[in-house]
This record gives sequence, structure tokens and C-alpha cells, in this order.
Amino acid sequence: MKIRAEKDFWSGVMFLGFALVAIVAARGYSMGSGGKMGPGYFPMLLGIALAGLGALLVGRSLVLEGARVTRLQVRPTLMIVLGVILFGLMIPYLGLVVALATVTAVSAFASRESRPLEVAALAAVLAAFSVGIFVYALRLPLTVWPAL
Amino acid sequence: MDFISNLSLGLGVALSLQNLGYCFIGALLGTIVGVLPGIGPVTTVAMLLPISFTLQPVSALIMLAGIYYGAQYGGSTTAILVNIPGEASSVVTTIDGHQMALRGRAGPALGIAAIGSFFAGCAATLLISIAAPPLAAIALEFGPAEYFSLMVCGLIAAVVLAHGSIIKAIAMVILGLLLGLAGTDVNSGIRRFDFGFQGLADGIEFVALSMAIYGLAEVAYNLERKAEQGVVTRNVGRVWPGWADIKTCIPSILRGTALGSILGVLPGGGALLASFAAYTLEKKVAKPPRSFGQGDIRGVAAPESANNAGAQTSFIPMLTLGIPSNPTMAMMIGALMIHGIAPGPRVMTERPELFWGLVASMWVGNLMLVILNLPLVGVWVRFLRIPYRILFPAIVGFCCIGTYTINSNVFDVFVMGFFALFGYLCLKLECEPAPLILGFVLGPLMEENLRRALLISRGDPMVFVQEPISLGFLIASALLLVVVAAPAIRAKREEALQE
Repeated sequence: MKIRAEKDFWSGVMFLGFALVAIVAARGYSMGSGGKMGPGYFPMLLGIALAGLGALLVGRSLVLEGARVTRLQVRPTLMIVLGVILFGLMIPYLGLVVALATVTAVSAFASRESRPLEVAALAAVLAAFSVGIFVYALRLPLTVWPAL
Repeated sequence: MDFISNLSLGLGVALSLQNLGYCFIGALLGTIVGVLPGIGPVTTVAMLLPISFTLQPVSALIMLAGIYYGAQYGGSTTAILVNIPGEASSVVTTIDGHQMALRGRAGPALGIAAIGSFFAGCAATLLISIAAPPLAAIALEFGPAEYFSLMVCGLIAAVVLAHGSIIKAIAMVILGLLLGLAGTDVNSGIRRFDFGFQGLADGIEFVALSMAIYGLAEVAYNLERKAEQGVVTRNVGRVWPGWADIKTCIPSILRGTALGSILGVLPGGGALLASFAAYTLEKKVAKPPRSFGQGDIRGVAAPESANNAGAQTSFIPMLTLGIPSNPTMAMMIGALMIHGIAPGPRVMTERPELFWGLVASMWVGNLMLVILNLPLVGVWVRFLRIPYRILFPAIVGFCCIGTYTINSNVFDVFVMGFFALFGYLCLKLECEPAPLILGFVLGPLMEENLRRALLISRGDPMVFVQEPISLGFLIASALLLVVVAAPAIRAKREEALQE
């Protein structure tokens, strides 16, 4: 067995994975009947359809030639997601300024071109701007500074 | 005259000082993101959804709509001057527009793009105000079976017109529908797909999902690719095109507007498809066809009129049927739902100020855009000097703030992080995210209509083929699929999308 169309193959695997989760979860909900659809009915229907399409993609990728997946670049996505998670962990306790400066600084290094001084300046400007817009102008319920 | 009283009601709303202000902000932001490559209207609308929560619903819609059609103006500016399409819908404008700029005719190119866009915007606004009420009246008669089939048809059409693999696109729609079902089921009270997380009790937050995909994943994907560098044409020259140019372009503008208006209404349509189709049509019918690709002004006028017309008429299915024809419209539905308004045919009768205010604001916004764009071209081009390495951390930061402030819930931020990873994988695997977003918005509605239709028919699925209107939608969906699957047409479609 040789994978001829990498992109199709891995998309198919991804859809099969989601379909499996959907079907397993939907089995836990009552199915009901056509005339009285239970909460499991529609998800099960969709799960089966998704599984079918996933299987079709996988099967086809073994026969038809197709595009290869270009190399995954781990750094950009990783830094961005890391920044987002840090923001989530910090915002309730440390406030907007610290959390936003952190996410800006961390995610900036998703790009190799970022320079430390520039990033520091950007973080400061963004924090000041956001406090002005979101806290003072729009009055969104955000704490600005760490609660001490 | 209903029409006149409706429009005057709308103008009354749109011309209030506050709404004029939001319309201006929207048009301005739209122009800027239109100019900037790497950040588009969908991302911007997603980032502004949380802010729109603090506004009146009508002001929110007016601002968000301004971003969408404003981006069509901004996108053409960079396409002409720098050969970089600020927006996907201005890709074809680069062909003749940049050639004109290289020949020292940047001014007339910008001018005709603005005039064409303005004319198209006015015509499309008029079309919305004429076509929407009867359409909504028809839709009010729809039962659950018709609605379900309409949604199937809308989703299929969106998939067919999207580029890339049809199988993947349908799979993305289904995945979107599934994601849309997460959370407490209204009928049984059972929490579905919450995996034990308290934060998923109300489902996956739309803002978190859309920012993850159109904000974060796009940023990650953009960072992988090399930044394009274009040569800025310094000498813009006289912006106002001469009478000869205008006369040459009148038929092109009319054709572009007509085609764009029609394609905008179709599911999956909107600005992007409209501009491509208009350019292709123009090459076929314009006489003499001599100079396309070498700076023919009609090659700017037609697609620029079309993309603006398409951007505006794509509001018709959203406003009258509650069905989004493209991701931006899905965001609009998201904005309405944040305000507790269910989009659909009832909006027009129950909230006339919302509907007509939005329509009238489009006309006002187009006027503002012409004034904003022509004299200030030099200012917008300067935005191109902002390097992406400055821009993208700001996008990431605003996405975080936006998602957090929607419910003041950290969980939504983590959900966004998860879907950013997922969105990046999708882009790598060439799975278009647009169908997913459309499916996500329609998921609960589709289930509800399926449930009701089957309840009425006592579980007989034949109800979908026995109701003539419903059958019509299903036949249309089947035809669309057959047409795309047919090899000959498939090749043509690839060709058309390649151009």
C-alpha cells in the first residue's frame, strides 16, 4: 500500500477521527425514532456521513495521485498557541496589561524576523491602546492590573 | 409606496449621527484591511464581533457591513498600485490594473475602480430593497421541510462554488454541522459533545471558532509563506478618468454590476466569484478584445464593479432567509445571534429599522468610500509599509481579548487555541474552512427543521420529496453535484478558478 495523495489521505484520517468521536458520543444519547428524533439522531447521521467521506478520501488517496503535504512548520503555530494559552492563564489574575504583553511577546517569535526591542515596543503600544479602547472607551469588564 | 417609505425609514436610521459614525468606522477599517495583504474582511469582522456586542444591533451590522464592502475598495488600490491583491476578490484587478499603473495610468485605473464600485454599490442597494421583501414573503410560507431542503441546497451550492476538492468541502460542512451541535440540546436538555467540560454547556463559542480559523490559523499559515514584495508605483497622477475612458467603461460597468449582483445572491457567491466571472465575461464579450492583460481599463472596471455588487447582494439570502452565502455573512449571522436576533424572513417585518437601516447605510457607506478612497490614495498605500511582523502579533492579541470578553470565560480562549491548531492543519491539508463555518452556523437550525419536518410527517422521510418546493431544492442540489462531478464541466471549473 502506498499513499499517493498525501493531502487527501491525511484529511481523510482527520475526518475519520472526528467521525469516530461523533459516533461514539452519539451512541450515549437517546436515538429516538424518525418521528420523534432524539438528541443522538442527527449527530449519528452526520457522524456516519462524515465517516463515509473520510473513508472515501483515504481509499481514493491510495489510488489517485495527488499533492504532497508541504513540511509542517512547528514554530509559528506553536508560539501562537502558546501565547494564547498563556493569555488565558494570566488574564483573570494578572490583568489585561500583563496578559496582552505576554501574548504579543510570545507570539511575535512565531516569526524569525521579529526583533526583541521592536517586540517590546509593540507590546507596550498594544497594551496602552487596548486599555484605552477596551477598558475606557468600550467599558468592557476587564481588569487592567494584577490584583494584589 | 412601500418602497419609498421603507427607504426613508432606512435613511432615517442610517443618517443618525451615531450610525453615520459606525458606518464611517466600518468603511475606514474596511479600506485599511483591504489595502493590507494578509488580513482580510473576514478576519476583521471576526475580531470586531466582540466589540459589536456593546453596540446597538443595527449599528453593529452597519459597521460590520462597511468592513466587507470597504475592503473591496481598498483591495483594488493595492492591486493597481503594487500588483498585490489586498483581497482575494481583487486578484483579477491586478492583471490590467497594474499594467495601467506601469504605463502611467494609475490614476484613471483607481478612478474607474471607484466609480464602477460606487455605481455597482448603488445598483445593488436598490436591488436589495426591491428583491428582498418579496423573497422574505415567500420564505415566510416555508415549512420545516422546505427550510431543511433549502439549507441543504445552500450548503451544497456553497461547496460547489468554493474551490478545491468537493469531497473535502462536503466533509468540512458536515464537520461544521457537528461542531454546531455541541452544547445543551434544547429539546432534551442533554449536553452533547461537551466531553465533561463545563465551558461547553452552551456549545462552542462562535467567536472563538471564527477567530481561531480566520485570525490565528491564517497568521500561522501566512508566516510560512514568503512575503511578497511589490514595487509601489509612486506616480499616481490625475485620478479622475477622462470622458473617453468613462465612455469605454460604461458597458463594462453595467455588465459587471449585473453579473456581480446575480452571483452575489447565490450561496457560495459573493465578491470573490463575482470578480473572476466578470473578468472572464468581459474578455469574451467586450469589443474590440485587443488589449486585455495589457492595461485595458475595462479589465479594471468590470471586476471592480462586480465584486462590490456581489459583496452587497450577498446580504440578500442572509437577511431574507437567514442563510449565509459566504463566511463574512456567517459572521453577520453570528453578530445578530449575539444580540439574540434569529436571522430569517421575520427580521424584515419585526425589525424593519434593522433591515432598512442596513440597506440605506450601504448606500451612504459607498458614498463615503468614494470620498475616502480617491483623494487619500497616497495615505492608504503607506499602510503597505507596515511589516507583517508588526501586524500579526497585534492580530493574535486582539483575538485573545475579543474571545475572552465575549463571556469573560477563559475556557473560550483555550477553545480558540485548540481550533487554531485544527485550522492550521486544515489549511495545510487544503481543506477550505469556509464550508465549516457555514455548517457551524446552520447546524442547530438544520437539526431543528429536520426534527419538525419529521414530526409533522410522523417519521416519514418522503416528506422532503412530496412537498414541491422542498423537492425543487433537493433536485437543484443533486443537479449541482452531478454537474460538478461530470468530468468535462469539472475541467472547465478548474480552468475558471485558475484564471
